[in-house]
Amino acid sequence: MANLKEVRIRIKSVSSTQQITKAMKLVSANKLRKAQTAIVQMRPYANKLKGIMQNLSDSIDSPELSAFFETREPKKILQVLVTSDRGLCGAFNANVGKTVRTALNGKYKAQWDAGNVHLLFIGKKGFEFFNKYKNLKLDTEYRDAFQNLNAETVFACGDRIMQQFKNKEYDVVEVVYNQFKNAATQILVTEQLLPVVKPASETKATTQNDYIFEPSKPEILLELIPRSIKTQLYKACLDSFASEHGARMVAMDKATENAGDLLNALKLSYNQARQAAITKELSEIVGGAAAMAG
Amino acid sequence: MLLEILTPDKTLYAGEVKGVQLPGTGGSFELKENHAPIVSSLTAGTVTARTAEGDKTFEITGGVVEMLANKVVVLA
Repeated sequence: MANLKEVRIRIKSVSSTQQITKAMKLVSANKLRKAQTAIVQMRPYANKLKGIMQNLSDSIDSPELSAFFETREPKKILQVLVTSDRGLCGAFNANVGKTVRTALNGKYKAQWDAGNVHLLFIGKKGFEFFNKYKNLKLDTEYRDAFQNLNAETVFACGDRIMQQFKNKEYDVVEVVYNQFKNAATQILVTEQLLPVVKPASETKATTQNDYIFEPSKPEILLELIPRSIKTQLYKACLDSFASEHGARMVAMDKATENAGDLLNALKLSYNQARQAAITKELSEIVGGAAAMAG
Repeated sequence: MLLEILTPDKTLYAGEVKGVQLPGTGGSFELKENHAPIVSSLTAGTVTARTAEGDKTFEITGGVVEMLANKVVVLA
């Protein structure tokens, strides 16, 4: 039987841990709500962009735009890893790392051996995961984007990636992130950012409204396509941000629950120890009294 | 007519206007009530919304404008 003082100390420490995990859960719930608002606020923009793009889809094959669609042999790869800055959110970051590692050992093995795989990090944890890997170029310019997540930073990152793609520094650009489904579920996805995947099955503009296109359809697309690529990247960041807080909320909820279980078990053994002590004392008194009377 | 100025972060403006001046790629132009449907690309510059309480200006770094049935949407 554990001694009383030891158990008391353990109970104290477990319950303070429980308080911390509970607080972290509440903080995450709050941040999750904010992150979700950001996603919702971005939706009208993304929808409108898509709508206009659809109206212009018949001009997508014009030669001015080929730079975005050009499929080259994948020799030089850029993987963009969207992770979080902080831990304590379950397998959230590890999943991103594992997926990229699988790709490195699988389809991009040859490029990795040749030292032609570059990783760009948005979020610190991805960098920590790959910090010790050899033969990888780690790009940390936008690693701290999550400290103050806004469209401007992410768009600047997108501009740089597009420039590098056009300069043939990369042949394929992919982004790996946790897509937000709901607070408890994240879906890990790998999306190809460049070359742009053409919209499947020509969905013709729904109602031809006889638009005036100023200056011309291809030139408008030249403005729109980079914008939609950057929006895609930004959406990945927002999704990942919301997913992070969702994952942390779930992880902290589990931790709180586990601490509760532990606390119950400890309280039981504390009470048992206390009862044993009382019983022992009583029997000593009774024994003593009996000896005196005898 | 209705004007909406959208950015990925937030909606900059949404409301009734008499006209809106835009920095088009081919030069500045203004859209008025009952303009024909138009889609145009924009460069960096100032968007001026002619509201009932006077002009309101917004700086943009480029984008696209679409006007359809007296509804103007600026994607900045």
